[in-house]
Amino acid sequence: MDTIGADTKISNTYLPEKPELSPTLISDTELLSEFSHHVQNIARINNGSFGCCPKSVISAQQKWQLEFLKQPDDFYFNRLKDEILKSRLVIRDLVNADHVDEISIVDNATTATAIVLQSVAWEFLQGKFNKGDAVVMLQYAYGAVKKSLEAYVTRAGGYVIEAWFLFPVNSDGEIVSEFRKALERGKANGRKVRLAMIDHVTSIPSVPIPVKELIKICREEGVDKVFVDGAQGIGCVDVDMKEIGADFYTGTLNKWVFCPPGAAFLYCRKSNEIDDLHHPVVSHEYGNGLAIESAWIGTRDYSAQLVVPQALEFVNRFEGGIEGIKKRNHKAVVEMGEMLAKAWGTHLGSPPEMCSSMIMVGLPAILGISSDSIALKLRTHLRNNFSVEVPIYYRVPGDGVVNPVTGYARISHHVYNKPDEYYKFRDAVNQLVNDKFTCALLAW
Amino acid sequence: MDQEARNGELTHHVSKKPKLTRCISEAEIRDEFSHHQHGVARINNGSFGSCPKSVLADQQKWQLKFLQQPDDFYFNSLRKGILESRAAVKDLINADDVGEISLVDNATTAAAIVLQQIGRGFTEGRFHRNDTVLMLHCAFQAVKKSIQAYVTRAGGSVVEVQLPFPLASEEEIINEFKKGIEKGKKDGKMIRLAIIDHITSMPCVVIPVRKLVKICRDEGVDQVFVDAAHAMGSIKIDVKEIGADFYVSNLHKWFFCPPSVAFLYCRKSILSSDMHHPVVSHEFGNGLPIESAWIGTRDYSAQLVIPSAVTFVSRFEGGIDGIMQRNHEQALKMARMLANAWGTSLGSPPEICAAMVMVGLPSRLRVMGEDDALRLRGHLRVRFGVEVPIHYQAPKDDGQPQAGARDKDGIITGYARISHQVYNTLEDYEKFRDAVILLVEEGQVCQMLLTE
Repeated sequence: MDTIGADTKISNTYLPEKPELSPTLISDTELLSEFSHHVQNIARINNGSFGCCPKSVISAQQKWQLEFLKQPDDFYFNRLKDEILKSRLVIRDLVNADHVDEISIVDNATTATAIVLQSVAWEFLQGKFNKGDAVVMLQYAYGAVKKSLEAYVTRAGGYVIEAWFLFPVNSDGEIVSEFRKALERGKANGRKVRLAMIDHVTSIPSVPIPVKELIKICREEGVDKVFVDGAQGIGCVDVDMKEIGADFYTGTLNKWVFCPPGAAFLYCRKSNEIDDLHHPVVSHEYGNGLAIESAWIGTRDYSAQLVVPQALEFVNRFEGGIEGIKKRNHKAVVEMGEMLAKAWGTHLGSPPEMCSSMIMVGLPAILGISSDSIALKLRTHLRNNFSVEVPIYYRVPGDGVVNPVTGYARISHHVYNKPDEYYKFRDAVNQLVNDKFTCALLAW
Repeated sequence: MDQEARNGELTHHVSKKPKLTRCISEAEIRDEFSHHQHGVARINNGSFGSCPKSVLADQQKWQLKFLQQPDDFYFNSLRKGILESRAAVKDLINADDVGEISLVDNATTAAAIVLQQIGRGFTEGRFHRNDTVLMLHCAFQAVKKSIQAYVTRAGGSVVEVQLPFPLASEEEIINEFKKGIEKGKKDGKMIRLAIIDHITSMPCVVIPVRKLVKICRDEGVDQVFVDAAHAMGSIKIDVKEIGADFYVSNLHKWFFCPPSVAFLYCRKSILSSDMHHPVVSHEFGNGLPIESAWIGTRDYSAQLVIPSAVTFVSRFEGGIDGIMQRNHEQALKMARMLANAWGTSLGSPPEICAAMVMVGLPSRLRVMGEDDALRLRGHLRVRFGVEVPIHYQAPKDDGQPQAGARDKDGIITGYARISHQVYNTLEDYEKFRDAVILLVEEGQVCQMLLTE
């Protein structure tokens, strides 16, 4: 299939060059079959954590694995580089980057973060940044990102500032104003803000962030570089590198774009400055540019990186391709979220227009979710006793609030989900409430 | 053997001999490797290793298990499985504590971990500028680049120990190493790290690591890192005996695991607590083994099938020891056959070879540089269906080669590194023998060879 195909505009918004859409769209039966390996009879409403991979992509991946195992020397010398380049070209088109040089393929967003932050660490260590210069991030940044900041930035002498905003969120404006305040703190005492790390959609609690606006503010306020963590990006929200305007952007392909685990990209905007980014696992390709370095970090299985074209072929078996999938996911998850909130008498964690393919739904206060560990125990309880897989977020209640909602479920919707799964979740929670279950019972 | 034995239980301790009903047959071995490309004399197990079908099947089961219900897998299966794999490795290498064993992708990753730690010693002022890191001149290229990226960049200096080749005895290695240590300590410098290959890659020889580690300790070297990428499954490993601070070996080269998995052994000491995986996850600070067991969402299946590989080797007579012994014998036998047929010689004495041997190529082929070596390798692959890496060995500066490195026509400058693994047959090496004889008869020299 020609993956550098015709330009197909579907709506008024600019779309990158898209592969030809499949002549016949995937049928319901085919869809069921493609995900028939998923454990049946569980409500798998957590696509946001680990994603999914259809059978046809698994099968394509196994072919790649076998190609290597059959004659690895030949594969290494004659095929690997070209095939990784093909994947990078597909990603370039998918995210509307200018140049394939800007696209490196890595295992996951965690790796991309280490790459960017390691280069920031070197700038501190080699005196290009002053000790105490700041890196600004969001309070709800992913756990691994916070640790990476500790390991690389704080350790090298940088000062990490968190922008806090309240959850539930009512508008973009709340996020924007808190971010401005954080930038001000970053610039206090003559410091420079060397990097702003902004989630495209925070993980948990899941809230889409107005990245374009925040980046504009960063530019106005003299922030050196901006790094967008788009782990929940493609397939969730619009991902267009030129539109967003970040210096660095990482996105995963295994969550919403049907790749197997181990496929993500790091976009590095071409600039006049030399970006001294390196993959931390140094091979003989060191110094040949991040994309080349990342394409060989020692002998390993690169098949997840090689199936990207086949995964995009799968995407295009759906009406509207990735755009269509995203729109339908958004519509369905809002519908299901509102259904649940109504059934439980609670509310959504953010307005419907501020959600992606995931949404936060308040759980009945009576469940008494009182800590992070209790939230995890409730999640386990739902898995083991009700066959519902959904992450639960614990929100510290505000002072003086009566019967606060302290627990939120993050429900996801992807192409394989069915309404029954959300009804199952609805009924499970209703049963817990009817049984006068409280999470205190889980605190053994 | 029970392939399902790995579920939930550690059933194999290699120190106890497993009870076999019968050993794997020739036909079964052929079947296990039937996915290897037919018609190729695959005598290069050393580069990318090999993985039998039964281990691949187990790997696919693990991969599927994750995809079936990834949350459940992450919370309930992954850690347990990785711990079992680490425990299996601990037994194989005679480590004291499973806490000393981390699983990583490959030796390249392990090198980055060790060298990043050394780099921090320089950037955080614990080491003096220009304190040294010692390595062999023939260290793997990735390791050299890693030293550049983490040590040189941070202000450390590097001392290279020349490995004489061809070699007459391991004494030559020890003497050169001692010279290197002196150089590293010159002018009051401290040697912060010595990196010693257990089995060098190209040219391939077995290094007397235990002796070299002892010299390091006697000479006050801070830390010793043994890069044993090739060792697991080709040579006996006893980390306590060897006595290094860090020891890494790949399991996908000679221990039948799929690409890719390696173990990094870190001797329990105060130093090793600052070891971190460079890909930082929420497990940061929980110890290297735990950090390495979760570096974000990816496929950990290669790490999870180590017990399956242990089961596989137990199907052979004598288990992994038997395999190693036979590989060593056959590799030497085939090497001698080739050297006799070509009128050349081996690159080192038999006792410092494991399952790979360097065999001199006829000087008439005129391997005059790295390009020639690569060209010859490509030509052998394309024209003859022979896969074997070629090493270029420059003659000594004074124009005189080391003793024995001549054939009747001139100086031997090219060596083939032949490997022997359980799937190799006599025909593989005969094919290679005949290809080279033909090239010589045709009057070919490397520069002329086509590789398309």
